[in-house]
Amino acid sequence: MTPVHPPPAPGRELSNPPTEGISNLRFSNHSDHLLVSSWDKTVRLYDASADSLRGEFMHGGPVLDCCFHDDSSGFSASADNTVRRIVFSHGKEDILGRHDAPVRCIEYSYAAGQVITGSWDKTLKCWDPRGASGQEKTLVGTYPQPERVYSLSLVGNRLVVATAGRHVNVYDLRNMSQPEQRRESSLKYQTRCVICYPNGTGYALSSVEGRVAMEFFDLSEASQAKKYAFKCHRKSEAGRDIVYPVNAIAFHPVYGTFATGGCDGFVNVWDGNNKKRLYQYSKYPTSIAALSFSRDGRLLAVASSYTFEEGDKPHEPDAIFVRSVNEIEVKPKPKVYPNPPA
Amino acid sequence: MSTTKNDPLVQVETTCGTLLYELQIIWDEVGETDADRDKMLLELERECLEVYRRKVDEANHCRAQLRRTIADSEAELAAICSAMGERPVHIRQSDQNAGSLKEELSKILPQLEEMKKRKIERRNQFLEVLEQMQKITNAIYGSSLSISSKTVVDETDLSLRKLEDLHRQLHELQKEKSDRLKQVQDYLNTLNSLCSVLGMDFKLTVNEIHPSLGDPEGFRSISDNTIEQLATLIKKLREIKIQRIQRLKDLATTMLELWNLMDTPTEEQQMFQNVTRNVAASEHEIIEPNTLSVDFINYVEAEVSRLEQLKSSKMKELVLKKSLELEEICRKTHLLPDPECAVEDAIEAIESGFADAATILEQIELLIAKVKEEALSRKEILEKVEKWLMACDEECWLEEYNRDENRYNAGKGAHLTLKRAEKARALVNKLPGMVEALASKTMAWEKEREIEFLYDGIRLLAMLGEYTILRQEKEQERRMLRDQKKLKGQLIAEQESLYGSKPSPSKPQSVKKGPRYSTGGYSQTRPTKKNERMQNDHLNHRHDDDTTFSAFRRGLDIVDTPVRKHSSTPRAVNAIEPESPLLSRKPFSPITSAVSLKSNTTNMLEVEDNGEKSHKMLHPNNDLSYTSPLKTISLVDEENRTPKVMPFPCTPLTVSVPMQTAMTPAPIPFAITKPVEETEQSFEERRLAFLLSKTQITASRVILTGL
Repeated sequence: MTPVHPPPAPGRELSNPPTEGISNLRFSNHSDHLLVSSWDKTVRLYDASADSLRGEFMHGGPVLDCCFHDDSSGFSASADNTVRRIVFSHGKEDILGRHDAPVRCIEYSYAAGQVITGSWDKTLKCWDPRGASGQEKTLVGTYPQPERVYSLSLVGNRLVVATAGRHVNVYDLRNMSQPEQRRESSLKYQTRCVICYPNGTGYALSSVEGRVAMEFFDLSEASQAKKYAFKCHRKSEAGRDIVYPVNAIAFHPVYGTFATGGCDGFVNVWDGNNKKRLYQYSKYPTSIAALSFSRDGRLLAVASSYTFEEGDKPHEPDAIFVRSVNEIEVKPKPKVYPNPPA
Repeated sequence: MSTTKNDPLVQVETTCGTLLYELQIIWDEVGETDADRDKMLLELERECLEVYRRKVDEANHCRAQLRRTIADSEAELAAICSAMGERPVHIRQSDQNAGSLKEELSKILPQLEEMKKRKIERRNQFLEVLEQMQKITNAIYGSSLSISSKTVVDETDLSLRKLEDLHRQLHELQKEKSDRLKQVQDYLNTLNSLCSVLGMDFKLTVNEIHPSLGDPEGFRSISDNTIEQLATLIKKLREIKIQRIQRLKDLATTMLELWNLMDTPTEEQQMFQNVTRNVAASEHEIIEPNTLSVDFINYVEAEVSRLEQLKSSKMKELVLKKSLELEEICRKTHLLPDPECAVEDAIEAIESGFADAATILEQIELLIAKVKEEALSRKEILEKVEKWLMACDEECWLEEYNRDENRYNAGKGAHLTLKRAEKARALVNKLPGMVEALASKTMAWEKEREIEFLYDGIRLLAMLGEYTILRQEKEQERRMLRDQKKLKGQLIAEQESLYGSKPSPSKPQSVKKGPRYSTGGYSQTRPTKKNERMQNDHLNHRHDDDTTFSAFRRGLDIVDTPVRKHSSTPRAVNAIEPESPLLSRKPFSPITSAVSLKSNTTNMLEVEDNGEKSHKMLHPNNDLSYTSPLKTISLVDEENRTPKVMPFPCTPLTVSVPMQTAMTPAPIPFAITKPVEETEQSFEERRLAFLLSKTQITASRVILTGL
């Protein structure tokens, strides 16, 4: 049993990490800048390739999500019910508007030029960030959801909303009056994360019970036959599985393969088409809270940060690792070896 | 006026009268006769008439002269006017006959003068235009026609219309000239670029056609001949260019292939970037100076031939390297390299030019891929073989050790040896199971592939069979020995019962218990996750373990292990592997575990890959404190229940089952969604609630302390 590969290093750890739980991190679409939201009430902007902290933006409450607008500004969703716009150069944040409860997730749609937020007040809101500040001017619409919103994902004009109670609503951004599809999660347990395939044909959904479902938008029988779910982030102990929540999914922008991160501290890379695991990175100090590939897929940011799955307890310090991704780790392998004629 | 005119007449009359009177007086004095007097007077009268007549004739002649002059002038004037295409103005005046002839003449003469002047001017204009036309025509049609340089102006038609006509012709000629100039310039430009691309001297080339063309400033030949020559030259050069482009493209393609083949460094490639860049360029896109010069092409050619040479030597190297790689893989996977593709043969073949290095390389690469594939299929078994061989080694060592009479002498490092012996025993006990498992796996493999599993050229099953026989023999021997010993003991006992003095009771009885206890404890005291994981790695061996333990119980001839050794083990282990103190937890764990610990993260997949494992084995002491939140625990329970109901592949590798089946129907109604509607909370919600309660407490505390 000689080891095939030496366990790879976890990647470079960024200095000045957030001081409390990391809620999300995202790479910019234009550079290697990394936007990180945290429970320590800040949003931080890093230059991942230079390992430098470019900015820190204080909020009124824990920040539950953040996203880029362009390289000079971004948006954040805070537990103090506010949706904010952050202009990095000025260190200025203005409030786009408010929900009636903490804002859980935020996305910016380049297609619609709108910010979409999901909140525990059981609504989805769309905002036009170009409008002058002030809720009445920026708010485009409020769309009631069956339950508290837990996760959002966008691809093109499609918006997938996952809420408590395992509801999944699929919207067309051009017609938000009602969901295009109302679904129930294929998984039996609480949804942790939903994310659309980069090719726009479906979405992956992970649950607190170590499982990921691969779903397709197309409702035809042929397409629906392709959907499947698989177990992951489990540990077999004494013949029993210990299951861990799957907190994060990130698709590789080039190969369409994806990484999952769980409370077991592992990051796995999967080839969804061939239903194969491509790689497992060595264990991180604590739960994987968030994952993001850089725009060219060469870097993977990993937030190793306790996600409160077992309540208040001592845990490893929060850390952000930026690892450079080897092609072999993310490139789909051909199913069979070419059989050469001798 | 009339008076002044009459005066001389009057005077003449008076003088005539006085003269006549004087003559009468004379005559009276003389006394001439009347007849004479009449005769004289008649004569006088006749003479006077004569004078008059002459004067009248003279005047008449003069008048005729004048008339003719006027008529001539008029005629000339009319001619000029008609030549110049103008209407004569004075003709009407002459019709009217306004004044005397002299007046008329005096009027006509200045007009005539004027017209003559104008005519000369007009003529000069004509001359000028014609001359220019001549010049241009000469330029265009060549100097051969320039004999008619002295142009003749048609005096009869100097009209403005004609002049205009000529002007128009001139203009046309000028236009043609400029057109031609432009064309020549165009040709020259084209030529220039062609020359520069082809690396030829532009001036030299152009001078051959016409010396004037090389001069950028001065007059340029624009004759038909020149233009024609230019056109042909351009055509010729373009043909040359296309030829050279083809040549260069061929070279560039070869070069690219060679680079690709040999992984030429980029710096080296950089130098020829301008060549390879043009591979796909069309003819008109190649405009960089000298890219097609003879020198440059030769230069590129030299580089290509250099690369070719390099390639032939590199190829050999590459073949060597690849075949070494192949050998290495074969060695690692204990495959015998295919004798057909011996490196020496290949090299020889290349050197003799018998075979193309590229095809051989390709063959080797194919072989490597094949061997790799085979290696992958063999990997699992090979790992087991490795373990088995290691265990065999340990067995040999143990045998030797057991033969050592002084093995319990407390010397330096004795505790380490003891420890090793302990481990070795455990391992040896697992051996039969291991061999059996390996054999069955190998058989399955062989059945699947319908070829023999060869390990370094020897069939593995044969090896295993041999080993089993050997082992059986050994066991038999051992049993025999033991029987002998027992017999001997009985003999001694019998003797001693007769003669007294009984030796101490044999140890094995008591000692056998020791290991049994520890084995029992082994399965229960597994408190760390890591150990757990290691155990998982050896799931396949768990079964073996069981057999091992039973073997223990069966009481194989395992040498005693005093209890005190147990107490010393943890220290010993710590001394050996201080970096993994966890190992101390399981003194009987297989030796390989240290290795497997390292590899476990990466090999996990393969292990999982084994498919059906002992997942279903229930262990009573599931430490629930490891599992995450409340809900997850319940999941765990259910998770464990599910497979019992309906086992299904649990690794993503094998999940080809549609989700409906993956969603195993839970035996108990799902406990979360409905009844717990109120309490379903995500981690974040719980966290926030916790945070708020904490801040409230601190806030109230602040208030309290403030109060």
